[in-house]
Amino acid sequence: MCNNIKIDGEAVEFVQGDTILQAAERAGKGHLIPRYCYHPGLPIAGTCRMCTVEVEKMPKLMTACSTIATDGMVVNTKSERVLKSRAGVMEFLLTNHPLDCPVCDKAGECELQDNNYRYGPVTSSFLEEKRVYSKAATKKLSPNITLNMNRCVHCERCVRFTEEVVKSCDLMMINRGWHKELTLSDEKLGLTSNYQGCLSDICPVGAHTFNDFRFKKRSWFLEQYPSVCDRCSKGCNISVHSENGVVYRFKPHYNEKVNGHWICDEGRLSYHQVMDATRIVKPLLAHEGSLKSTSWELAGAAVNYLITSASKVKVVIGTDATNEEMKYIQASLPDKFGKKFEFSSYCGYGEDKKLDHMLMMKDKTPNSNGASACKLNHLDGDLVGDCDVAILIRYGRSGVPQVKNCKKIIIIGVWTQKEIGSFGTNVEVVLPGLATTEKSGTYINCDGVSQNFSPAIAHLGEGLAVNSIISFFKK
Amino acid sequence: MATKTVNVSKPYTWSEKIYLLAIVQGLLITLKHFINGFFLRKHNTIMYPEVRREYSDRFRGAHFISIDRNKTENCTACYLCQTVCPAECITIVAGERESAHNPDGVKKEKQPVKFDIDALRCCFCGFCEEACPKDAIKLSGKYEMAITSREEAKYDLVYLKREVKGRG
Repeated sequence: MCNNIKIDGEAVEFVQGDTILQAAERAGKGHLIPRYCYHPGLPIAGTCRMCTVEVEKMPKLMTACSTIATDGMVVNTKSERVLKSRAGVMEFLLTNHPLDCPVCDKAGECELQDNNYRYGPVTSSFLEEKRVYSKAATKKLSPNITLNMNRCVHCERCVRFTEEVVKSCDLMMINRGWHKELTLSDEKLGLTSNYQGCLSDICPVGAHTFNDFRFKKRSWFLEQYPSVCDRCSKGCNISVHSENGVVYRFKPHYNEKVNGHWICDEGRLSYHQVMDATRIVKPLLAHEGSLKSTSWELAGAAVNYLITSASKVKVVIGTDATNEEMKYIQASLPDKFGKKFEFSSYCGYGEDKKLDHMLMMKDKTPNSNGASACKLNHLDGDLVGDCDVAILIRYGRSGVPQVKNCKKIIIIGVWTQKEIGSFGTNVEVVLPGLATTEKSGTYINCDGVSQNFSPAIAHLGEGLAVNSIISFFKK
Repeated sequence: MATKTVNVSKPYTWSEKIYLLAIVQGLLITLKHFINGFFLRKHNTIMYPEVRREYSDRFRGAHFISIDRNKTENCTACYLCQTVCPAECITIVAGERESAHNPDGVKKEKQPVKFDIDALRCCFCGFCEEACPKDAIKLSGKYEMAITSREEAKYDLVYLKREVKGRG
């Protein structure tokens, strides 16, 4: 049997059980139907009435998000009745919307703004005073989320998200009609889930704003590039929002196989580590008891001297390196200096397991599975020792191993001042590398999904990719 | 295709060559200005700074940010002026206003922590004034903007918030 519906005169195939909106999305015609309460990651509510379309042989306009598509349906999304209905819905939504777009962080990516430009009435026939929630005008729901109830359009996406997706049931609507208000289920507890940032993502207006991004930047300045989150072994897909090489936020990027529509707050805030002011971005060389910044050539020559004069070198690669980096290091170092290397990987978070029913994992490094795929054995205990030179390669996510009975340490990758300080005066050379958002490569996540990514931002310091770093170690 | 060059300049005539007529014409103009200035007292210059010219109300001079009755700036750091500025001379850093200094509540919760205008880059087009949704940034009638160092050309929030009557 052929499953076909007609949308604006064009035949569209659908899967049994699809609603009209889902069928339109599947055919790439989703932009024809505006919506507020519908979100692909949430159960269907059908409350906003924005997605109404005209279906032949049905007397009234139907909500596209909740009407099941049946074979032979003829749908019209542009008829005069539909446009009039949309303009009416928009006018009703705007009666109480404060229109404080200059202050609102959502401006520029706001669905209310977009839909009003496309379908809204130019004028409003509402002359009375707007409703103002004096108590919830700006209310901190948690350290992460601020609620501005005046902007809310009562789509209840956030309520359904806490009930059905994270199952924390933190939010609920009280009262009815004009007085309808979003509140916390428990004022004392506040928001309890680890996925609070998603509330500001799914909110079609600026009612929920993420405090970390609040007032930082207007959305239209930001460039968006896809990347992979390296905060845990799940490897959620993200889009990196940056301007001039400075990251302002991470947002989830839809991937059905890995993270769906969501990412956790820990991953969302992990960009701070990439942008850390104490991160070392210049090559350093030990000189008279302290580390001084130097040129790549001098640092490379120092490494060359250290390795050639040593008889046993231990290389510890953090499980936050990409597959390509692990393979390259294992192949190129013996190629240059002969067989004196002993390679191992280091994670620092123990056995991996799920921390909740959604995405969070205990292993906070992105590529533990990749390390075993590259035939790297995990370091025994947390100790590196009994060697002439230890080379520690790490990209900001894996734990810092302890070093014993080794006076010469070469450090490569993404490190902060504090992390290097733990080795005292044993550090000889520090060679800055590129973080996940700055490089390309492949990670294998906890479920065995191999994901490759490209650079999302340009590195502002002098850090280099690992193959360029090793090219300075002349034979 | 070969290009054909045509000389269109004409040779001087005999009367033009001796310049006499042109010299007399020039002296007449000088004489006219001398009579106008010395005998009839008609001047084109003014005795600045004792005497000042009146400019139109639409004149676009030094910037200012309008303030409300509490002497709080009307600017809400929406970045629209920074976005529209063709010279890229405006730099804003936004922040949250402390609730203790904010009698207007949610309307003014966002404030500019830094608002710098580089007057040397500014081309006084007035786009910022047009873009501003709060009528905060305006160009005053002040035209005396001479400075002795580049640093003075950077108008900060303290300078921009000065009290300006009318259009200044």
